[in-house]
Amino acid sequence: MKNNNSRKNFLSFLANNSVPILFILICVVCIPVSGFSPSYLINEIVTRMGRNIFLILCLLIPIMAGMGLNFGMTLGAMAAELALILVSDWQIWGIPGVVLAMILSIPFSILLGMLCGKILNMAKGREMITSYIISFFMNGIYQLIVLYMMGPIIPIKHSNVKLPRGYGIRNSVDLIHMRQCLDNLLAVRVGGVKIPVLTFLLIGLLCLFIIWFRKTKLGQDMRAVGQDMDVARDAGINVERTRIISIVMSTVLAGFGMVIYLQNMGNIATYSSHSQIGMFCIAALLVGGASVDRASIGNVFLGVVLFHTMFIVAPKAGAMITGDSMIGEYFRVFVSYAVITIALIMYETKKRKVKSQAGKQLQLEQEQEEAAANE
Amino acid sequence: MSNKRSLMIRICAVLALILIAACMMVIGRGHTVYLDNKTLEYGGQTYTAPYKVTVTVKGEQVAKLYAKERGSADNVGQRFEMTLKVMQEKNGDETTATYQVKLPYKMDGVVINLPGYFAGLPEEAWLSEFVSLIPEPSAEDGEVPSADEFEMDLGDEF
Repeated sequence: MKNNNSRKNFLSFLANNSVPILFILICVVCIPVSGFSPSYLINEIVTRMGRNIFLILCLLIPIMAGMGLNFGMTLGAMAAELALILVSDWQIWGIPGVVLAMILSIPFSILLGMLCGKILNMAKGREMITSYIISFFMNGIYQLIVLYMMGPIIPIKHSNVKLPRGYGIRNSVDLIHMRQCLDNLLAVRVGGVKIPVLTFLLIGLLCLFIIWFRKTKLGQDMRAVGQDMDVARDAGINVERTRIISIVMSTVLAGFGMVIYLQNMGNIATYSSHSQIGMFCIAALLVGGASVDRASIGNVFLGVVLFHTMFIVAPKAGAMITGDSMIGEYFRVFVSYAVITIALIMYETKKRKVKSQAGKQLQLEQEQEEAAANE
Repeated sequence: MSNKRSLMIRICAVLALILIAACMMVIGRGHTVYLDNKTLEYGGQTYTAPYKVTVTVKGEQVAKLYAKERGSADNVGQRFEMTLKVMQEKNGDETTATYQVKLPYKMDGVVINLPGYFAGLPEEAWLSEFVSLIPEPSAEDGEVPSADEFEMDLGDEF
């Protein structure tokens, strides 16, 4: 009996953590094959942690409000890019440039987040696909602004930002004077590994904010809305408003995260930096063991480490195994999409299973009641 | 919390953000300072360039300029401080002094003529805006994004 129980527990542990376990196995196989030195690997992972964790943490708030994985975080990324283009043209350098870009991104993010939240309120239960499509739609508006409005309507002065035709922004905007200014300030080297202390401090502050926020009245309201919207509404919570606030918060934080991400990269790919950011952040979160309705800070950290280890080693391991590095390149993109698909299928299967079990339980209870009445 | 109090807090938060943004715009304004060690003609007089000027900015040597040479340094903010080690003639004595120059906010690139600056001439004589002589690329050479560039990439940078 005890053996049976422990076996059941082990199997349920495997089932609940299948994605992280799968990734641990991939990393265990790929790391020795890739031939990277431990110090190089750790350096790369630490850099990518500093670059990405802030962005991924912004996904936790909509999950708390039951809105699933917010593909709409791309809107925050677009807001950050608009802000950085302006800051770059105004020649504001270093940390002040980063702070100014974060502040400038706030109004754009709030506006886009409110729009997204309002639309998502009209599409309850289909938030993920709706936010994904909204991000495509907003990409069109973003391109309209960046390609045609920047120059003639929004003044852009510098030729290294503006296209030679006189309006529109270049494919790539250089952030050389902002490059890694956050990462390098207070950075320490431990055994050849550069640790961007200030960036990690900002991440730590956001983690503390999320922990604190969960305990606030608004945080509790979000959790209640996430568990059951009808019950929350009956309890007097303004469900629609709470959901909009969660999306706005997520979008604003995504804007900050994108500024941190781009200052680390040192340049903006004007028309593509934001396009895949949502997908990769969500994939990393899911790799960490999160699901559509449940995610924690621990999932974010584990996900970033595993997903990025795979990202670093896959091309080299692919090249060593098959002789063609493109296979490794495609492999990591394929895995990103696959992880999202598997997680969504598992979530839907689990939801249906729970529903069917509840139905069976109800049927059994009804049969027992009928039998008792007949007797 | 009353609506009035809530509104006041929001207005204060917005004002604080605007204030911080304004401060960032002032303290973070970047300039490239070009230092010219070139003989200057001004008001009918000639100000000869010293044999060698060694320029140190924030403890780092950024240029060693002989006559007719130009060096540059990046500066954030409107106050530019430089330490100059000047040798007037070959094998002569070197004198070291620290100077502070106020940079105009509107200029991205600022050219400072050192002989004019040393002579204590008015600002218009030794300070000018840097204008690039390299012609801007024409629209044909430009990198107007094509439809292909909007396609999804493999996310190499991520």
